[in-house]
Amino acid sequence: MAEVKTKEFVPASRRAVDNPQLQAALKRAGGGFDSARMEAIEELGEERWQELRERARRIKEHTLENLDYYLELLYNRVTANGGQVHFAADAQEANEIISELALSRGAKTVTKSKSMVSEEMGLNHSLEALGIRSVETDLGEYIIQLAGETPFHIVGPAIHKTKEDVSELFADKIDRPGLVEIEDLAETAREVLRNDLLQADMGISGANFLVAETGTLVIVTNEGNGRFCTSSPRIHVALTGMEKVVPSLEDLAVFLRLLPRAATGQRLTSYVSMVSGPRAPMEEDGPEEFHLVIVNNGRSRLLQDEKLRGALSCIRCGACLNICPVYRKVGGHAYGWVYPGPIGAVIDPVLVGLDKAKDLPFASSLCGACREVCPVKINLPHMLLTLRSRLMEGDEEGGSKATLMDSAMGRGYRTLMSSPAMMSLARKVGRVTQVAVARKGWIRKIPLPPFDRWTRARDMRAIPKESFRDIWDKELSKENAQPSQKGRKGEKP
Amino acid sequence: MASQSTDPKERIDNGGEHVSPRALLYVTCLVDQLYPEVGVSCVRLLRRLGVEVEFPKDQTCCGQAVFNSGFTNDARHLARRVLDTFGPLLEEKDDTYIVVPSGSCTSMMRVFYPSLFEDDPDLQHRATELGSRVYELSEFLVKVLGVTDVGGKHAGKVAYHPSCHLLRELEVEDEPVKLLRQVEGIDLVEVEQARTCCGFGGTFSVKYPHISEGMLADKLENLKASGASTLVGCDVSCLMHMEGALRRRGSSMSALHLAQVLESSEG
Amino acid sequence: MVQASLGKSSRALTEPYGPLDEDLDSIRERAAAAMERVQRERAELWERLGDTATKRGWNVCRAAGVEEGLEYVCNVASAAEAPRAVRSDQDVFDSMPVDAALGAQGVETAVMSQDGGSSRAELKNMAAMAGVGITGVDYAVAETGSVVVLPRAGVARLASLAPPVHIAIVRPHEVLATLDDLFLFRRLAYYEGDRNMGSYLNFITGPSRTADIEQKIVIGVHGPKEVHLVMLDEEKVG
Repeated sequence: MAEVKTKEFVPASRRAVDNPQLQAALKRAGGGFDSARMEAIEELGEERWQELRERARRIKEHTLENLDYYLELLYNRVTANGGQVHFAADAQEANEIISELALSRGAKTVTKSKSMVSEEMGLNHSLEALGIRSVETDLGEYIIQLAGETPFHIVGPAIHKTKEDVSELFADKIDRPGLVEIEDLAETAREVLRNDLLQADMGISGANFLVAETGTLVIVTNEGNGRFCTSSPRIHVALTGMEKVVPSLEDLAVFLRLLPRAATGQRLTSYVSMVSGPRAPMEEDGPEEFHLVIVNNGRSRLLQDEKLRGALSCIRCGACLNICPVYRKVGGHAYGWVYPGPIGAVIDPVLVGLDKAKDLPFASSLCGACREVCPVKINLPHMLLTLRSRLMEGDEEGGSKATLMDSAMGRGYRTLMSSPAMMSLARKVGRVTQVAVARKGWIRKIPLPPFDRWTRARDMRAIPKESFRDIWDKELSKENAQPSQKGRKGEKP
Repeated sequence: MASQSTDPKERIDNGGEHVSPRALLYVTCLVDQLYPEVGVSCVRLLRRLGVEVEFPKDQTCCGQAVFNSGFTNDARHLARRVLDTFGPLLEEKDDTYIVVPSGSCTSMMRVFYPSLFEDDPDLQHRATELGSRVYELSEFLVKVLGVTDVGGKHAGKVAYHPSCHLLRELEVEDEPVKLLRQVEGIDLVEVEQARTCCGFGGTFSVKYPHISEGMLADKLENLKASGASTLVGCDVSCLMHMEGALRRRGSSMSALHLAQVLESSEG
Repeated sequence: MVQASLGKSSRALTEPYGPLDEDLDSIRERAAAAMERVQRERAELWERLGDTATKRGWNVCRAAGVEEGLEYVCNVASAAEAPRAVRSDQDVFDSMPVDAALGAQGVETAVMSQDGGSSRAELKNMAAMAGVGITGVDYAVAETGSVVVLPRAGVARLASLAPPVHIAIVRPHEVLATLDDLFLFRRLAYYEGDRNMGSYLNFITGPSRTADIEQKIVIGVHGPKEVHLVMLDEEKVG
């Protein structure tokens, strides 16, 4: 299982905010993806887009409500097609299944195309511990594998790296010094990885969709490494979360219009590969064996959770990351686990344990931009609120994770607001206290938490002499309630 | 319900019958305590448009601050208080609305109150009923009163900031702009990334000040580039956050609530 | 999940799901109607395919006949300075003798088929060594500017993948309007063909590309850098 660093959110996000190079990369990345997305949607037409989103949402909702049914259908159809289906309860089991396959087939080199599930599992480490070479072949994944990092973004794993960073990596790790242009870096990756893509014993891919009806795995890619990994090796192993199922082949028309547009603004990716089983006996190439590993790894907790189940509709387009002003400040690594951004702030706490990821549901201003761009209309801000409530109030799994300070603030606020009299009392205390710090109606610094965190960057309004209700009592309640002529002055007759 | 007449007086005197809608002003705790002038503008503006304004004095906070922090239980107490204070007043008379000069407090009442009472159908029903009568100020003016020209004056370049809850929980996007366009002397400017959050986010601003400040900096940069001399919004909370930073940076840009601009006859 | 892994019979769906409730006759009817529409609109779809394919990064050659098509293929191979080409074994090559045409300019074209006596390992090697890969297509989708290739005996997966240049030859009867058409027809084929989808289906929409470094689009990372769509219009629809 991938290392869980979700507890480090606060210091990690501070480091990110203070890192100018990272800030520059984030500015470039978010803006680029986002404007491409908007352009693609505009071309399609807003109305059509909304119609597709709603259809997608409904398909996913129906499928998740009946996931056991569709998983069984999928299982039966893949098996009938000659593939083998494995169910893995958690990351460890999934690693064991793949290790066992690799060892029993004598695989020395494994080529991988992009798979976020494999990131959950920490698959590369697990294979390498057995002496099996596991080579990431997506350019972004290859870069972060060389750098020994985890993906920074669901769609662009290495978008935080500049070409200079990559150039240095290629010089240090694969002895290809002196590369300057991005084209040359990409060409080098092509040359270096080609032999592995052709000669690997086993190819591992992810899955974007699984069609239950026909037992078909759908992979949406651009580089071509995914096609190699699923075509050239003797064995193809596909890894997927159990939520990727759609019922019918015809549903794909909806999702293939949504995913590329939402992810990169493409009308369609360069490649869509659909695998329905191992090669038939007469075929010229293709794997002899096809294995589908369906991974749970905490997803059934989401599935059983009525309020959060919708998060399993996610098609991993990354649009919520690109639009999220928080992600755009802190980047992908600060979240501390596989899925960053708003979708990560919702699913990571459930997948790794709420107590380990207490900070993530609060890593949002609840602006709702993520919901607005989500191609399957996941109500992310409301899910964040649900998680916040569970953290503070406790849930079936356990008691409140609120600190004494948290609870005192909640309770204190409620007491303060429990009546106008209490408000007025607090106001008086505030008025007396602020004398020390207020000047001309403004306060520059309040040396008292949590206000000190406010006045780090902002002045604070001092409490004025009269509250609204004072003015109401004194003047407003007595003013004429009729429309005054004065108010309409200046309007042309 | 909504009259399409652009002249409120026409609506009021329609058919010789004096139809005067009644607004229960939910002024919000922040306006009450820190920005009373916004409440004053609301009252005067609404009255000028022939609305009968009441200020139910038992009101405190809608509970959003604690709700967004996860304290659902505390929020429920405060929501109960709003239901008890405003519910009976709504039933007294038809054509009665709760009018709120805040998109986020309005969304708390309309969108989130019903979810607080999932275990109590009776209270949930009351919350839903109340929610259907709550209007954010600009929404009330345009949708209920059916007016866009309300007679305000303001000279100079104005940047409008659409606050997130207003925009995405209530889906009120055009109303404030329609109202502002009719203000005499106004020069409404475009802002880059206008729909992006300012970074306030309630307690988010003090829980993760480093992130909030980063978002705020981007927002201020875009506001500055717009050339506006005044920032206008429908939520005092977001304005307080931006205004506080503008002042800290010594900027000459001022911040006003929509009600203040619409009510102003000073220009 | 447990149910499924144990192979137990499942419960009913919470609500019927339209497409899965449909019987074969209904799929046939819809497919027939779609086919009729596609045939009726063929000239327009043919035109649109060329346009969208160009936008998606294909080099499009609208060839009025075989000779024009062959000339284009020869020009591409010569520009690629490729001594070797591979092609699949598809019926389009019966009427379009690329082997001879390329041979005449010194390009050796190997057919990626075990029928020629080569082993799979040898076929793979051929594809890896070739500078140009030439294939027919099973469908082309006007909406997306894509071609669809169904690997099978005679149609190797690597023919359109490993060489740096891919030439796809498409004819008017292969063009469909939308993704919906394609999946409807494939669905019909699945049920009519005794529940057999074929092992693989490949959509190709332009060249291989990446934007993984600084979001700059670079063409040709692992797959073909250059893709050509020869629109062979012997039926004169366009």
